[in-house]
Amino acid sequence: MAAVEQSPTRERPFAIRVERRSRAALVVLDGSCPMDVSPRLSDELLKLADEGLPLLVIDLAGLDFIDSSGLGAFVSAYLKFRRRHGIVRLVRPQPQIWELLETTRLTLLFPVFGSVDDALAAAQD
Amino acid sequence: MDVMHDPNLDGPLNELVVGSNLTAAKAPEQAILGEVQRCGYGEEAVFAIKLSLEEAMTNAVRHGNRNDHSKSIRVRYAVSPRRVLIMVADEGPGFAPEAVPDPTEPEYIERPNGRGIMLIRAYMTSVSYNDRGNEVRMLKENDQWRP
Repeated sequence: MAAVEQSPTRERPFAIRVERRSRAALVVLDGSCPMDVSPRLSDELLKLADEGLPLLVIDLAGLDFIDSSGLGAFVSAYLKFRRRHGIVRLVRPQPQIWELLETTRLTLLFPVFGSVDDALAAAQD
Repeated sequence: MDVMHDPNLDGPLNELVVGSNLTAAKAPEQAILGEVQRCGYGEEAVFAIKLSLEEAMTNAVRHGNRNDHSKSIRVRYAVSPRRVLIMVADEGPGFAPEAVPDPTEPEYIERPNGRGIMLIRAYMTSVSYNDRGNEVRMLKENDQWRP
């Protein structure tokens, strides 16, 4: 059988891991979140909003790509959490993701933290 | 402007026509990014081109062709070590880009959608549309290119 050549532009598979903490949900994102994957991200985040937790922390350290529909999933989650008096915080974006957040000015909606522990602790302030 | 007379066209013009859905829309991206990487573009330029292509293809599928899977998207592109020229056309009636609100303005910042066009403008060297408004032309200069 001929070997399948791996494309140099192949995206890292997208993965979402959800951990429940006492009064928060921690979502750890990994890989690339392109246009055909972002609906999955949106579904996961909105499901968490339905749980009524006061805080959602999204760890972006492993995320290397996201497009505007993925950013829109963050905004939809922000709106749904806010309706329930909850908040959404972002953690450790890679430089290119940070630039995206700044370019879109979404840093006005999302406080960005340097560590998951800091983001979780801020909820108890 | 006829693309064949575009002064920024300095490589062979390729054309791909794909189905109007988000899965089929990945094929031009793979082809273009493969050439971009072979031409030695830096990580930031690759990210910018990938992002802009994703935004343009998403707009073509959702807004231009209105999720009609019987329609097609035509992608024309030329990649050289100096610059990348990409044109994405859908079968829709077109739109007026200047009428799209700035998503960074306070009254629009909380909208989940509407950031794609702004991101293309922010990440590409130049962006324009045909008269009908159903084809976006995106140019990315390679900052690292030296003659």
